[in-house]
Amino acid sequence: MVSAGIEAINIYGGSVFLDVSKLAKYRNLDNARFENLLMKQKSVALPFEDPVTFALNAATPIMESLSAAEKDRIELVITATESGIDFGKSMSTYIHQYLGLNRNCRLFEIKNACYSGIAGFQMCVNFILSQTSPKAKALLVATDINRFLSAEAGEALTDDWSFAEPSTGAGAVAVLIGENPQVFRVDSGACGYYGYEVCDTCRPVPEHEAGDSDLSLLSYLDCCEKAYIEYHKRVPDADYAQSFNYLAFHTPFGGMIKGAHRNMMRKMTKIKPDQYENDFQRRVWPALTYCLRVGNIMGATTLLSIASTIDNAVIDSPKRIGCFSYGSGCCSEFFSGVATPQGQELQKRWNIKGGLDSRYELSMEEYETIRSGSGAVRFGTRNVELNNNLIHSIADFLKGKGMYCLKRINEFHREYEIID
Amino acid sequence: MTVNEVFEIVKKNICLVIPELSTHNFKQDDRLVDLGANSVDRAEIGMLSMEALSLNIPRVELFGIKNIGELAKTLFTKHQAIQKG
Repeated sequence: MVSAGIEAINIYGGSVFLDVSKLAKYRNLDNARFENLLMKQKSVALPFEDPVTFALNAATPIMESLSAAEKDRIELVITATESGIDFGKSMSTYIHQYLGLNRNCRLFEIKNACYSGIAGFQMCVNFILSQTSPKAKALLVATDINRFLSAEAGEALTDDWSFAEPSTGAGAVAVLIGENPQVFRVDSGACGYYGYEVCDTCRPVPEHEAGDSDLSLLSYLDCCEKAYIEYHKRVPDADYAQSFNYLAFHTPFGGMIKGAHRNMMRKMTKIKPDQYENDFQRRVWPALTYCLRVGNIMGATTLLSIASTIDNAVIDSPKRIGCFSYGSGCCSEFFSGVATPQGQELQKRWNIKGGLDSRYELSMEEYETIRSGSGAVRFGTRNVELNNNLIHSIADFLKGKGMYCLKRINEFHREYEIID
Repeated sequence: MTVNEVFEIVKKNICLVIPELSTHNFKQDDRLVDLGANSVDRAEIGMLSMEALSLNIPRVELFGIKNIGELAKTLFTKHQAIQKG
């Protein structure tokens, strides 16, 4: 039987970031227990960046590594997002165009809040496993941004909703999926999914989120348990403490994963509570390394955790990674796959850590200039010419980095170019 | 099991999650957020209390509770319902 999974995975965690502890102080959120929430940095979308530019910046290096013949075999491009730019036109069409892919290709977009990336991933994996087009490849790009243009807590929102601003980032993860999954081979059929209707968080209007963080957290924890129980039904030999060398979870913020891990250890294992912290450091921390630097990138976050685990874990022999995705609304899935030392070596070519290290750190003043919305393109914009000189020091910083930006919108049609 | 006993369980679990509160004089209308509990702490307190009562209900059923007295009452009611079964 053919295997399927990740041949390459690259992230674009933005070109600028904000130190979240500075934001917390600025917004008077530095209560005694803020530290426990494990939030460090968040990537920020610039006014001339949109989910398409993030996607292109993540996918381009992978495309450049392929031969023309390999690139020609990409027959499926899915965008996974909750930050769509049009109700009808899929962002995958722009991505397909700018990456110069074969026109004999399926193009579409999917959403289910933060679950979208894994929903798309499983569609790609099953396309490969179905063998309806042997040796074909699929490109998944999960891309999400939130500009927090003016998120105010309303009557229906909890006080804690203000914590969404420090935890939410901007980013994209591009994944090439095929029959040679050296980076992450999916355990075929080993998955448990669980979903039901709940209105925990949503984006009822294009630029704002609404919801209740307490309800969302409770639903995440319910789903984590139920999805794993279903996984275990299908893989009866699975042992939560032993079968997974590493765990990569959807990470809205680090503290939440610590809570989820503690709960799963208590429910699914006989390990003593004083060992939870060690287990967390050993099995979960590699996944958080990049998540804590980018922030929650919604549909792309579980894939970011997987990429982070592969880069930061000790993979000296094949290692199984247990993965969990949760998307508000809600749907969730626990699944697993295997990473290898060769795959870890292959991943070094994207230099993901280097990309994060080289971002520009925003001052609070610069961040507020961006957040005030001056220059940002709102949903439904018909015509606009973008100016990437909003903040001069950033414009200088971006020169020559080969980054895609949104140049103009002409009668709703977006035009992108690489910054010189 | 009485509602007061459930309140004691809730108090014990609050102190387990936030040890700094061990000398706090808990009142029925104390709100977890005012006691310094963040959203992860609040979920943890709810879960530990559910487990102490062997309550196997969806956690989302604990949503919308305003204070710790109400939390104890809700847990007590659900516990009673299961006992009557």
